[in-house]
Amino acid sequence: MSVQYRPVVPGIKRFKILVIKIIFIVLGRAFQSASQHDEEIKKEISSWRNGFTLLMKVMPDGPYMGLEKRDNMLEFKGSKLKKADLEIYFRNVESAFMIMTPQMGSHQAFAERRMSIKGDLNIATAFTRTLVIVMSTLYPEFIVKRLVKRVPPLTFKRFGLRIWLYTIGILLGR
Amino acid sequence: MLPSYYEFHNPVKIVSGNKALDNLPSEFETLGAKRPMVITDKGVSGAGLTKIFIDSFASSGMTIGAIFDDVPPDSSSEVVEKITSIFRQNKCDSLVALGGGSVIDTAKGVNILVTENSDDLLEFSGAEMLKKPMKPLVVIPTTSGTGSEVTVVAVISDVKRNLKMAFTSTHLLPDIALLDPRMTLTLPPKMTAATAMDAMSHAVEAYINLQKNPMSDAYAVAAIELIRKNVLKAVSDGNNSEVRLAMANASTMAGIAFSNSMVGVVHALGHAAGGICHIPHGVAMNIFLPFGLEYNMPKCRENIAKLLLPIAGADVYARTPEPRRAEQMIHYLIELRKALNDLCGLPINLKQAGVTEDHLPEIAQAAMNDPSLIMNPREMDVNDALVILKKAFE
Repeated sequence: MSVQYRPVVPGIKRFKILVIKIIFIVLGRAFQSASQHDEEIKKEISSWRNGFTLLMKVMPDGPYMGLEKRDNMLEFKGSKLKKADLEIYFRNVESAFMIMTPQMGSHQAFAERRMSIKGDLNIATAFTRTLVIVMSTLYPEFIVKRLVKRVPPLTFKRFGLRIWLYTIGILLGR
Repeated sequence: MLPSYYEFHNPVKIVSGNKALDNLPSEFETLGAKRPMVITDKGVSGAGLTKIFIDSFASSGMTIGAIFDDVPPDSSSEVVEKITSIFRQNKCDSLVALGGGSVIDTAKGVNILVTENSDDLLEFSGAEMLKKPMKPLVVIPTTSGTGSEVTVVAVISDVKRNLKMAFTSTHLLPDIALLDPRMTLTLPPKMTAATAMDAMSHAVEAYINLQKNPMSDAYAVAAIELIRKNVLKAVSDGNNSEVRLAMANASTMAGIAFSNSMVGVVHALGHAAGGICHIPHGVAMNIFLPFGLEYNMPKCRENIAKLLLPIAGADVYARTPEPRRAEQMIHYLIELRKALNDLCGLPINLKQAGVTEDHLPEIAQAAMNDPSLIMNPREMDVNDALVILKKAFE
């Protein structure tokens, strides 16, 4: 009996892609909101030109999360952007899921080449610091400790920002 | 302990040894290239190295497409564009970089433009912006320090737009790194010392930072040991071919190590100090290295301690109690700096290098956006940077 060889089409990781999409929305709105209130983020993005775009993309075909600097804040562009001035790639769905859930910090992810950068490396370095601020505002210290090299101090202002993000910021991006 | 995950990549063929240069025509034949263009600088030509290069092609049946020997000390996009047009006019098909860091970066820049058929380098600035395999590139280092002959990086200034463009891509890796001791024999003592400490900083930072892996560790340790055994001889007896070849190998090994595990705060501060106060890169590395290690000690004491073996030798390592090895490693590094300072006047602090104290805050601020910080074990903020700079000042 002859053996039949046919092309194999692997499935789609629907659950993980859905989780990543949801976290991208939460993170994008958190960035939009935090960039209006957090002084350190404002300082980090102050030197970026108006209209500067940034994209987080899971390789090879998304999901995507875009941000654009407008009027000294980062505006969440959802998945509208497909190209940007600075693009941060997650190498595959598994890597993105691990980083977004958050089981792994960005420094570790860069070290393990699960994330890579296309564009200006100086701005990318500044962006990783803003990411640390947003993550440490969103998550409690026992989680953040595993994700970052140094946990930023949870000042009274930043604690207020955490409450703001969970009540208004993430819902409305304000 | 093995990292939970790592990658290591080095496809560069190393051609090393006595009269290695004479094998270059056959290497080009293997690469399928017939008309290489040589990129070098006046210093290299003046030292007679270009002539040695041309002589190595005698009776090979190959034609050298063109020789450009006017690369400035800081590679610029204008020079890259000029060389690109010469490459095209002379129908060259491959490149030779004969020189130090600036020449090698310039050759990588030219390779980007001729491969991508473009006239604007800025389009390709950043990480992983290059998609096409490049033209064959052979690098013949005339200094032993940058490691550029085996790295994925090039830095080129755009004078018109006042930008420093960084390029990182695996496509930038040369095909061949050719190490011939004749190419470094004429390097002056102070530059020999500075470039050696640049190589030392590559190996040490590669060994302690977040992307370290067993492969990069092996190259880093071997490089440090070679530098320890040969650097003082290379500075005091520059005509010693054996020692020069050892230093060239150390530099290449350190380059392979850091190209796979990146560098850290020492380089971030060195790039910033170089940009603002124009300190030569090797001098900056020599100044900052012990202070960078002290700063990182709380996060990687064990790794620093392990480096006592290659930097001080087996006897010292064996008789030093384990809890004191990290401090002793830094001590031996400082002793090496002192010896180099005595031998050739290599500066050991920022004041000696001509930096004034009022520049320190600006250097600290500039260091904060250096991508080298991403892989550093400890998160450095601007206040930490200023503390390190003050320690390194005098």
